[in-house]
Amino acid sequence: MAEPAEPAAATPFAEEALTHLDTLYRGALRLTRDPDQAQDLVQEAYLRALRYQHSYQPGTNMKAWLFAIMRNLFWDRFKGSRKEDVSLDDTGDFLLYEKLKDEGAKPESDVLDKIAVSEVVDAVEQLPPLHREVVLLVDVEGFSYKDAADTLGVPIGTVMSRLHRARQQLQKSLYDYAVESGIVRANGMRQVSQS
Amino acid sequence: MKCSDCESKLDRYVDRELNNTEALQVQLHLEGCPDCMDHYDFESKVKRLVKHSCECDTPPAFREKLRQLLS
Ligand SMILES: [Zn+2]
Repeated sequence: MAEPAEPAAATPFAEEALTHLDTLYRGALRLTRDPDQAQDLVQEAYLRALRYQHSYQPGTNMKAWLFAIMRNLFWDRFKGSRKEDVSLDDTGDFLLYEKLKDEGAKPESDVLDKIAVSEVVDAVEQLPPLHREVVLLVDVEGFSYKDAADTLGVPIGTVMSRLHRARQQLQKSLYDYAVESGIVRANGMRQVSQS
Repeated sequence: MKCSDCESKLDRYVDRELNNTEALQVQLHLEGCPDCMDHYDFESKVKRLVKHSCECDTPPAFREKLRQLLS
């Protein structure tokens, strides 16, 4: 009879890398929007990280380093296939708070309590990936602008502008949902959702 | 600080990206301005809502599989 398998002993590097698994998995899930693809992507990212572990500088931000590997793989795979998805239409200056205030929904934040979690996830997943990844890093994972900029290989100003536009788009989606589902009534603002 | 200045710094205040001096200026303005405070509460709440909604843990079976693979 076979002995029960010994618990697998990963190297210290792999052990440390695995402490960031939830961040990578969440990120991959929101980027691919598919649990199976997310697992493939994360697995490939970890294998690559292990192969290139000599290029990781100990003491620096391993979470950011791993996330960068994962999102670079994502872009290698998916770039080109959904070109139209890359840019974000200009929504104009949309501020959900102002909108709700204009419509007399007081207090404005009560509306947020009524929005389902699945709708928020949908709104995030509908963002173009370039904007989505900034929201994932800054809002979901709590990265600083600097760490997000390093992870994405862009200047801090780009992080800020993408974040700003992403939030506007996100809030617009949440508003549209709130109107559609009757959480708020678009009184006097009907041209926004109709015509 | 004027409301418009506060407004323009609100994103960075919510994200804790202002330096101490700027953050203090915004904080003082918020304490004396219910409108801006209301807006600040709203934006913080949206941020928390996004975080909370997108959080999920790795499926345990996948975690185990990955651990085996990396050993
Ligand atoms: Zn004010």
